[in-house]
Amino acid sequence: MSQQLAEDDRAESIRMIRDSAAAIAPPGGDLKRVRALRFKTPGFDPAVWAEMGALGWTGLRVPEELGGSGLGMGEFCALAEALGAGLAPEPLVPCMLSAMLLSAAATHPTTLIGSGEAGEALAAMLTGEAMVLTAWQERANTLEAPGTPGAARLFLPMAGGATHFLVPVREAAGLALYIQPAAGADLTLEATQDGGSFGTLRPAGGVKILDQCAAVLEQALGEAALGTAATLLGVMDRAFAITLDYLKTRTQFGRPIGAFQSLQHRAADLAMEVALTRASVEAAAASLDAAAPNRGAAIARAKARASDSAMLVTRQAIQLHGGIGYTDEHDIGLYLRRAMVLASLFGGAALHRRAFMTLAPESGDE
Amino acid sequence: MNAVTDAAPEDMNLLSDHDFRLVVRRFIEANYPAEIRNPPKRLHWSENKPWYMTLSRQGWLAPGWPREHGGMALSPLKQIIMIEEMERYGAARTNDMGIVMIGPLLLKYGTPEQKATFLPAIIAGEHVWCQGYSEPNAGSDLASLRTEAVLEGDTYVVNGQKTWTTLGSDANWIFLLVRTDKAVKKQEGISFLLVPMDSPGITVRPIVNLDLHDEFCEVFFDNVRVPASNLVGEPNKGWTMAKALLGFERIHLGSPKQSAHALQRLAQLAERMGVSEEPQFQDRFTRLRMDLEDLKALYETYVERLRRGEGLPPSVSMLKVIQSELYQKITDALLDVAAENAGLLEPMEGNRDLHPSGIFIAARPSTIYGGSNEIQRNIIAKNVLDLPG
Repeated sequence: MSQQLAEDDRAESIRMIRDSAAAIAPPGGDLKRVRALRFKTPGFDPAVWAEMGALGWTGLRVPEELGGSGLGMGEFCALAEALGAGLAPEPLVPCMLSAMLLSAAATHPTTLIGSGEAGEALAAMLTGEAMVLTAWQERANTLEAPGTPGAARLFLPMAGGATHFLVPVREAAGLALYIQPAAGADLTLEATQDGGSFGTLRPAGGVKILDQCAAVLEQALGEAALGTAATLLGVMDRAFAITLDYLKTRTQFGRPIGAFQSLQHRAADLAMEVALTRASVEAAAASLDAAAPNRGAAIARAKARASDSAMLVTRQAIQLHGGIGYTDEHDIGLYLRRAMVLASLFGGAALHRRAFMTLAPESGDE
Repeated sequence: MNAVTDAAPEDMNLLSDHDFRLVVRRFIEANYPAEIRNPPKRLHWSENKPWYMTLSRQGWLAPGWPREHGGMALSPLKQIIMIEEMERYGAARTNDMGIVMIGPLLLKYGTPEQKATFLPAIIAGEHVWCQGYSEPNAGSDLASLRTEAVLEGDTYVVNGQKTWTTLGSDANWIFLLVRTDKAVKKQEGISFLLVPMDSPGITVRPIVNLDLHDEFCEVFFDNVRVPASNLVGEPNKGWTMAKALLGFERIHLGSPKQSAHALQRLAQLAERMGVSEEPQFQDRFTRLRMDLEDLKALYETYVERLRRGEGLPPSVSMLKVIQSELYQKITDALLDVAAENAGLLEPMEGNRDLHPSGIFIAARPSTIYGGSNEIQRNIIAKNVLDLPG
């Protein structure tokens, strides 16, 4: 009974998150804001970023004693999904990763130096003044952070708007974490298909805030992969809804094209992909929140499914729209472009299938 | 009437789900006949009758029926748990048409006399039922069925042909959808009729399947005379009644156990063929495992609805499609891994677990029965996605 109550509370808090997300990414809302920010630096709206801080979203996973909401991945995924559906360009998922690292640094019992800096940066991010990105990645197609001193750090989403970077660096005692301000950093930007950018950082200097960050970084990368899967769920779910609407209204040969069985069956196939992705993402979030032993495999499954399914659904969304789907004027293309960027961010489908193979022991449960 | 047992069923709903599962599991392990565990084919009545009667004596034959008619009155979730435990152990499906189809129909629409006649006979294993729905020209378009019942005084005279009648040669009763009015819309002229299989004018001819097994039959009706009191519900309301029975079947058809079982066979076969460590196999196997885990997660969301006492929405059709297509994808892999052994009629090395061609063929009808996957996609398009036409 009390378990039932806890589940009901949980469902209620997830419902509230979805409702509040509607303030920034209204369901069925137009994408004028998203279009206006495309292909400009920083690619997102600092005012909206501040609002996300005020709404408590940046600190959703941050413990309450550090000023966050201390909520679980179930809530975070619900939020990420809603923002994905609205194509919000603000980099909430990468910053959630940074927030987890900063929280660890600010509370670490043996941290000698830098807990002050970590706490300040975290507090500034929770109010939306700061935007902290973690520069962990040194090559494409990996979830490993070797922390090579001096090596360029790649694929930093929306880096043009960052105020600080967190840089893991390999040292004798393990992987240390440094913080460096974005001002004056050696940073180059490349535009991405969705109108944002990837930054390449050549790290220099900075202040050490944590000594052994490998474990917390690995966990945070897993959570970011799942958050990205949830974002992709929102992207594909909305793209599918728009496409379904088009199938019902576009008329050819004297009837709505959605009355043709071949298109109906294709729509049914896409609906099944969306349903499987939702089940997979929600199951992975639940296993993370329950600290279940198989959570790593569940995350890998969710991201692999979300990456493949989002590409399938958004590709088919273009096809089912026909010629109008190939125009930049129609919104449906924005969903494909976002999926193209997110599908491989924090690991693509092939990488996560390999991870699953390593993480999930073959079932002895039969 | 009901089989007298020393373990009369207490209300199993009072047990926690976990305890209930363990009680069921222990009973199956202690009582299920070892020789018919994980049968490669659907068993005939002569083979599964002992297990049917064991369940009858235990009072566990009819999980969904009310207790006054010999059922267990189990909650939907506990019914699912029972199915899961049966599947887990590899317990064969019995000749259960009486339990899952006609019993629930009579409980809902039968007269007191029909309930008193038929329900105890099902529980006692005296009446073995088969289903007469499909016809040679009425498959997916079932409502166009033409087997006709004409009322003469207080007797219906039945002429026509039914097909795909599962285990028809085992049954001594058949429930039929028959045409009783040809002048109205096709769905509105169908009635539901109960017919003894030993009636003069009935001929049963087994159909040998791709798996060389005679699971299905054709049943011919030549001036078969049936008392009008064997009509269930109102005349010409049979279609609505038959459709009402389909809800629970779909989640059962979506159970991941079939795919899980096939995937285990694939792992065993790969081991035997020495390819388990090949990257190409591992990639394919991992994809299938991940698909299976996602199917389980989706299946759980529907079980969760039952747990909360909610009904099953039409989107449960998705489960059937996803499950059956994954099952077939796994059996495709079985053939590929088996190489030349894929052509063998019998299990490899006499080991029933190494029978790739057998599972491959057994998987063929899963996308056809219970509403073909094409029909399920029509249902998803129209009833879930609200597409026109």
